[in-house]
Amino acid sequence: MVIAVKFAKACRRFGTVTAVAEIDLSIDEGSFFAMLGPSGSGKTTCLRLISGFERLTSGHIEIFGVLSDNIPPNRRPVNTVFQDYALFPHLNVRDNVSFGLKIKGVPKDRRFKEAESLLELVKLGGYENRLPSQLSGGQRQRVALARALINKPRVLLLDEPLGALDLKLREQMQDELKTLQKSLGVTFIFVTHDQGEALSMSDRVAVVNEGQIVQADTPEEIYKRPRTRFVADFVGASNILSPELSISFGGAANWSSLRPESVSIAAKGEGRVVGTLQAVRFLGATKRVTFVVAGGEIAAQVGADIDLPAPGSPVPLAWPAKALHPMDDD
Amino acid sequence: MELAAASGKPGLLGRLSDVFWRKPGLFVFLLLLPPLLWLGVIYIGSLFALLLQSFFSIDEFSGLVRYEFTLKTYGELLAPANYDVILRTILMACAVSIAAAIIAFPIAYYAARYARGRIKALFFLAVMLPLWSSYLVKIYAWKLILAKEGIVNWLVEGLGLTLILQAVLSLPVIGGNSLSVSYIGTFLVLLYVWLPFMILPVQAALERVPANLLEASSDLGAAPNQTLRLVVFPLALPGIVAGSIFTFSLTLGDYIVPQIIGSSRRFIGQAVYAHQGTAGNIPLAAAFAVVPILVMAVYLWLAKRQGAFDAL
Repeated sequence: MVIAVKFAKACRRFGTVTAVAEIDLSIDEGSFFAMLGPSGSGKTTCLRLISGFERLTSGHIEIFGVLSDNIPPNRRPVNTVFQDYALFPHLNVRDNVSFGLKIKGVPKDRRFKEAESLLELVKLGGYENRLPSQLSGGQRQRVALARALINKPRVLLLDEPLGALDLKLREQMQDELKTLQKSLGVTFIFVTHDQGEALSMSDRVAVVNEGQIVQADTPEEIYKRPRTRFVADFVGASNILSPELSISFGGAANWSSLRPESVSIAAKGEGRVVGTLQAVRFLGATKRVTFVVAGGEIAAQVGADIDLPAPGSPVPLAWPAKALHPMDDD
Repeated sequence: MELAAASGKPGLLGRLSDVFWRKPGLFVFLLLLPPLLWLGVIYIGSLFALLLQSFFSIDEFSGLVRYEFTLKTYGELLAPANYDVILRTILMACAVSIAAAIIAFPIAYYAARYARGRIKALFFLAVMLPLWSSYLVKIYAWKLILAKEGIVNWLVEGLGLTLILQAVLSLPVIGGNSLSVSYIGTFLVLLYVWLPFMILPVQAALERVPANLLEASSDLGAAPNQTLRLVVFPLALPGIVAGSIFTFSLTLGDYIVPQIIGSSRRFIGQAVYAHQGTAGNIPLAAAFAVVPILVMAVYLWLAKRQGAFDAL
């Protein structure tokens, strides 16, 4: 497997603030890679280090084996879809999309043809003569995508590209982006703070916090076996159990994670612990139920059609043994 | 108690604001009345009177204005002596505007992209500071600077470049005895006095160009000079046009600078001054005064056609 982007002890400081702290990371060619973290975690800085808009304080970044530390953005084989699209307001859609080819000196008819075929690809055929100000958010997003793809980059960087779209459109674009990535075979590196987006779209996810990569793994691994309390808490919802509670639940003497959907209501006299039902929240397809147990509180996610006893009743609770996942301390 | 006061009888101001609330049109009318009176009646009105004057002519024997509509006065503008004045003024206005744009752009770019906080305040202070002192004082100061005994000559001599200055001053038309009596001097001083009016709009236009557009351009492979040409310049163009409207029209109308610094050949402003004053030829003065208005109208129309205002 060819490595598209490699961080080697890459570090970026702004004065006394460390945005990216000596990270090591390899991203495979052709993969859909997500960088997931809260705002201010340094994930966007990672992306800007790859595109060259930020320079490293120390360490190195290789792009397809080429040391890129001293290569300016315009000579890197990567292109970016910017967070707020950054379309040129004075150029129409056709000129925006073909900008990269104009820079290369490609003649007008060829670059316009190329732009039109890319606009077809992002389903914006017929919008060539519009100005960015005449487009909706979703359409601008597609123009930005087509513009970034016209130079046939080996790596496409996407900085929260779906952040400004409403929920329905965002889900649709998630599918389209995923399909597009598979058909083009281009490496996508995607920055997001939306864990659902990261899990559903990517082949691998790096969870970033305070300038460090806490865990880099497949979405399934990250969800099922979060390495730290931060990951368990940030990716999906989880019951995070103190070492004491974990022991009393029959687990290891570690901080442990127990996903609410793993917790079920057992038959009377069975189950691992007995909790007192405290509150119920209706979520549509499911219900979220909180129970008070000896030494803490746990949440369970159960089907909406399950009948629950009145608040205050004792309820036996069960879960599969491997659902209780011990984590590292940090 | 207070609740009762609020719903009870309002005072005079309260009743007035109630009236405005019920009739918002009345409020807007009152708001615009003073400026409309000033702009509409006094400003546009006097412009109209000026235009009217230019269609009269002067009786060559009596020297009195003949109040009959004629295009004779405009015909006089095309006489070689008058035509030269117009051409000279327009060329000077073009030269000053172009030079001002070239000098202003890097300063404005620095101020818009790099200067922050205190440095930015200092920038505005430095640009505006010359406007705080008297126009006449500045121009007489420049006369001393550019004179044969002035600091420029002294510096040039000190550097041993006298021959070069002599060569420049011996150029036909733009040269002269010294800088202070040549077109070069007029140009330098006009450039100096109108430069702030170019820097500020260009800076404002550049300020509105988001930094991520420059990043996007570079991301797509553009070298810095291509980004400047294809992204920064088109987006700064409305500012440059706005600035050049100032520098161009102010130069077209100025009559003090060419009077004090430069050769004895006239500019439009001086021609207007001379014709309405000593010569008493108000119609010709008015016709001269119409020229800058027409030139500006053509200029704005051209700028609009070139799309200079599209990005506004």
